[in-house]
Amino acid sequence: MSTLHVLSHSPFADSRLSTCLRVLGGEDAILLCGDATYALNASTAARQALEARADGLKLFVLDEDATARSIELPDWVKAVDYPGFVELSVHYDKVNTWL
Amino acid sequence: MAKSLLIISRQAPWSGPSAREALDIALAGGAFDLPLGMLFLDDGVLQLLPSQNARALQQKDLTANLQALEMFGVEDLFACSTSLAERGMSPDALNVEPLNVLQDEEIAALIDRYDQVITI
Repeated sequence: MSTLHVLSHSPFADSRLSTCLRVLGGEDAILLCGDATYALNASTAARQALEARADGLKLFVLDEDATARSIELPDWVKAVDYPGFVELSVHYDKVNTWL
Repeated sequence: MAKSLLIISRQAPWSGPSAREALDIALAGGAFDLPLGMLFLDDGVLQLLPSQNARALQQKDLTANLQALEMFGVEDLFACSTSLAERGMSPDALNVEPLNVLQDEEIAALIDRYDQVITI
């Protein structure tokens, strides 16, 4: 079973991202959208935490949310548009949105 | 067979409506005999502290709702061991039982067991 974890809150305001990384299953993926895309800001602890796990981590980011926030995406992240978001939602067994 | 649902409650009890809403979902689901579980994660474990006093804040008591879970058939209750430890809480002195305390790696397996998951 696999879960797509959808995060939309800034990683600098609370612990959603760090907790998600802590409890993430081997088959799971993370999609960053909204303010959660700030996790990919260069030289941040959040970015380092993601990069440290880049090898095994399936990480997606909603392209327009990152672009709007002037975030340059590293090559180990896969950018998706809204149709891609829908495809991911269908592909994974379930979606866990961290409200 | 109804789909099973895991409710992950990760907000502190008195900071906003989230903790109550998560409990409301659990109680409503339990009333309809839905197979569901509830996991207390991050600040959500603070709901499990004994001897809280909602009246000091002129709020309704959440503790009663927590106690009602078992009566509504919601018996699969879980708490994250790391979240408890981070907040200086002992798993032995909480206001809900039976409660299963899970390590981080067990939580992924828990989420896998359910058809759907809501994190509030």
